[in-house]
Amino acid sequence: MGMKLLFYHPFPEAKMNRYIRQITLPQVGLSGQQKLMESSVLVIGAGGLGCAVLPYLAAAGIGRIGIIDGDRIEESNLHRQVLYGAEQIGLFKAKEAADSILKNNSDVEILVFEEFLTQKNAKQIFSDFDLILDATDNLFIRYVINDTCVSLNKPFVYGSIHQFQGQVSVFNYQDGPSYRDIFPEENQSAPNCAEAGVLGTTVGLIGMLQANEALKIILEIGEVISGKLLIYDLLSNSQQVFEFGKVPGSKKPEIQNPFEMISAEEAIQSGSLLLDVRELGEMPSVHLENVKQVPLSILEVESVNLDKEQEIKIFCQSGVRSRKAAQLLSEKGFQNLKLIRGGAKDLLQFVETEIERNSKRSIVK
Amino acid sequence: MIQVKYFGVIAEAAQRDSESIPAEKVTLSKILSDLSSRHNLGEYNFQVALNRKIVSNFTEQELSDGDEIAFLPPFSGG
Repeated sequence: MGMKLLFYHPFPEAKMNRYIRQITLPQVGLSGQQKLMESSVLVIGAGGLGCAVLPYLAAAGIGRIGIIDGDRIEESNLHRQVLYGAEQIGLFKAKEAADSILKNNSDVEILVFEEFLTQKNAKQIFSDFDLILDATDNLFIRYVINDTCVSLNKPFVYGSIHQFQGQVSVFNYQDGPSYRDIFPEENQSAPNCAEAGVLGTTVGLIGMLQANEALKIILEIGEVISGKLLIYDLLSNSQQVFEFGKVPGSKKPEIQNPFEMISAEEAIQSGSLLLDVRELGEMPSVHLENVKQVPLSILEVESVNLDKEQEIKIFCQSGVRSRKAAQLLSEKGFQNLKLIRGGAKDLLQFVETEIERNSKRSIVK
Repeated sequence: MIQVKYFGVIAEAAQRDSESIPAEKVTLSKILSDLSSRHNLGEYNFQVALNRKIVSNFTEQELSDGDEIAFLPPFSGG
């Protein structure tokens, strides 16, 4: 049997030793290693989950890995995003993650996308990969991932955390149910905008489960967690699995108002109006020349004072209210609306980094 | 008794991970609306599972002793 596989799948002899310990597994073998080499996985997000997923996919010998993330490394990332070091603060995560995993395995082809996933770029980027892995921290973009995967018929490995709990599932796998079969509506986000805390080990463990599902799908071994939502509680070490099926007549996968998301850097550099839709007095306050504050609660009335022709970039604390504001304005006929990813916190962080850079520059002079 | 489990933001809102409530001629939708108003869950997005199966269709299903209900919100951290 082994000889036969060797004959049909000429595996490069020089690579044998690197993977010998996984090839030795009867469930993997040479044919399995060949499957890994011929596979391609797109990892969306190179944050906490992505940092856990990426090195293991690369080390296992996945043929092609895509990394998409428009974020740059921040100091507050380092406690959980262990692919990065302090000297890399300010650099793009996607590129730095790629460099890091290439050190382990330079045979992997890596495609780096230093941009955020949007409804505009999703289809084109996804079409180059067999398997999509969702390592994002954004509820809305999950619907973009889901709907794009449904329309292109690609499975996606989902993972997400809340404090010490994590969810894992595989959607759209072999005609299985999708994310919308659990949570049909994209516009019902949780109301709280506060950023929740996270321990590095929680994202590490959930990311590892995602990488494990990805390898099982590619190797065609074990039982893929499709039609099941795993909730892992890291404080009690309890795992609970909830089953779900395709919901007949469920909402057609189609996101209504698509709004482009931009980074704080892009928002500030463009110079156009930045609309703060948080309530008055919410911290941190953002004092920039082109910031105008109109709380979401009075936006409907106040929208008459905004210019419909002008480009408006909206932000709040974490992205829930800004999207609601964009929807409201869109219904009022505003067409040029963008959302600022990371909200007030990222805007201030960018401004501070700029001030720091400028002061360093003047010291050098 | 009926076991109720809360996850994610719902557990924070309800200020508990679980609780037991007496099962006396109560339907799933009744118990959900009771718990939802008791813990102020009205503004949250969540899905419900009965005995580890996510419920997509709320019928006037009567619950019996030993049933387990779970409140599952979407997670968004990563």
